Amino acid sequence: MHEMSIAMNIVDIACKEAQSEGASTISIIELDVGKLAGVMIDSLKFCYDSVCKNTLAEGSELVINEISGSGHCLDCATEFEIDSFMALCPNCESYKVDINQGRELRLKAVTVN
Amino acid sequence: MCDTCGCGTPGEAVTYRKHGDKLHHHGDSLLHTHDHNHDHTHIRSIAVEQDILGENSLQAQRNRGYFEAKNIFTVNLVSSPGSGKTTLLEKTLSDLEGVPCAVIEGDQQTMNDADRIAATGVPVLQINTGNGCHLDADMVHTACGELELEDNSLLFIENVGNLICPALFDLGEDKRVVIISVTEGDDKPEKYPTMFDAADICIINKIDLLPHVQFDVQKCRERALQVNHHLKFFEISATSGEGLPAWNTWLRENIKKQH
Ligand SMILES: Nc1nc2c(ncn2[C@@H]2O[C@H](COP(=O)(O)OP(=O)(O)OP(=O)(O)O)[C@@H](O)[C@H]2O)c(=O)[nH]1
Ligand SMILES: [Mg+2]
Ligand SMILES: [Zn+2]
Repeated sequence: MHEMSIAMNIVDIACKEAQSEGASTISIIELDVGKLAGVMIDSLKFCYDSVCKNTLAEGSELVINEISGSGHCLDCATEFEIDSFMALCPNCESYKVDINQGRELRLKAVTVN
Repeated sequence: MCDTCGCGTPGEAVTYRKHGDKLHHHGDSLLHTHDHNHDHTHIRSIAVEQDILGENSLQAQRNRGYFEAKNIFTVNLVSSPGSGKTTLLEKTLSDLEGVPCAVIEGDQQTMNDADRIAATGVPVLQINTGNGCHLDADMVHTACGELELEDNSLLFIENVGNLICPALFDLGEDKRVVIISVTEGDDKPEKYPTMFDAADICIINKIDLLPHVQFDVQKCRERALQVNHHLKFFEISATSGEGLPAWNTWLRENIKKQH
């Protein structure tokens, strides 16, 4: 389950940031996660608490902002919202679509004390 | 949860073994306890804006630079368990006799695949990921250090059999190859789009079994192209050898291109 290693990365990055700011605890970790990022948010939440144990982030809250997907059609240049990799252009019904947004997997901010 | 690999807890050490080696460990502690010194300051928000897999991407870029400098063409093979990655490698390595090759094998527990590759005479290193369901760029970096790769060569990386987790982890490879076998169902690209999206090449394997299974090759290709219109296909049977010449030619051309 790659959500476990992703959770470990999140907590690792957050702890380093918090330490370099001289903070002693982390209360909130905030993420941007794209709908096409390939991460199951439920699994991530499931791993999160156990990964936080014995770190500055123990007991912290995980806040996830879901980022919607968007793409553009290579045949007719239409831009549109997508929620899967099998996106069909609403204008010309082409599947030649490149993704602009939705793969984000970013640690946005940490709230510390 | 990842049903494919069933792993749940972190902490089991990653090990690296050559054919015939005893176990030896490399430290890989990602998590460490921090001291809590409670000098009370104020609650504040720190903007971080960091890619969560940024560390892996950086290491992958370092690997890529290393491969480029040594002129090594690197292929990352991903598939569900049992789609035929090791069988394809065995066949390919014997077909490419004379071309310097090396193999990195990723598996949770056993040495089996590395032993099969070692039997072909090609240098191989087994990475056992323990609970880990994918290889990462750092493991590949360590493995490359152990393998003493030749210049102007081909490096195959067989990832852990899993169609979900390895999708997110760039290893620094030149090409990512997803293998699907005809016993798996032609809707795989639809069910595991992240992996097909992240691949450059799609191999449809076990075509010798097509007369016995319900698998529409055309439909599978169409679905895969709907996910990722950049995909190139090879239809092969790793056991009978059908379709392998085209694959071998593609590999040889890519080695040449590197020069
Ligand atoms: N009929 C047929 N069987 C194949 C073919 N390729 C592989 N197999 C069989 O499929 C089984 C699994 O093959 P492997 O090469 O071990 O598969 P793998 O992807 O390396 O498996 P893991 O490393 O466990 O993920 C073996 O019994 C192979 O003999 C093929 O083209 N045709
Ligand atoms: Mg194998
Ligand atoms: Zn269009």
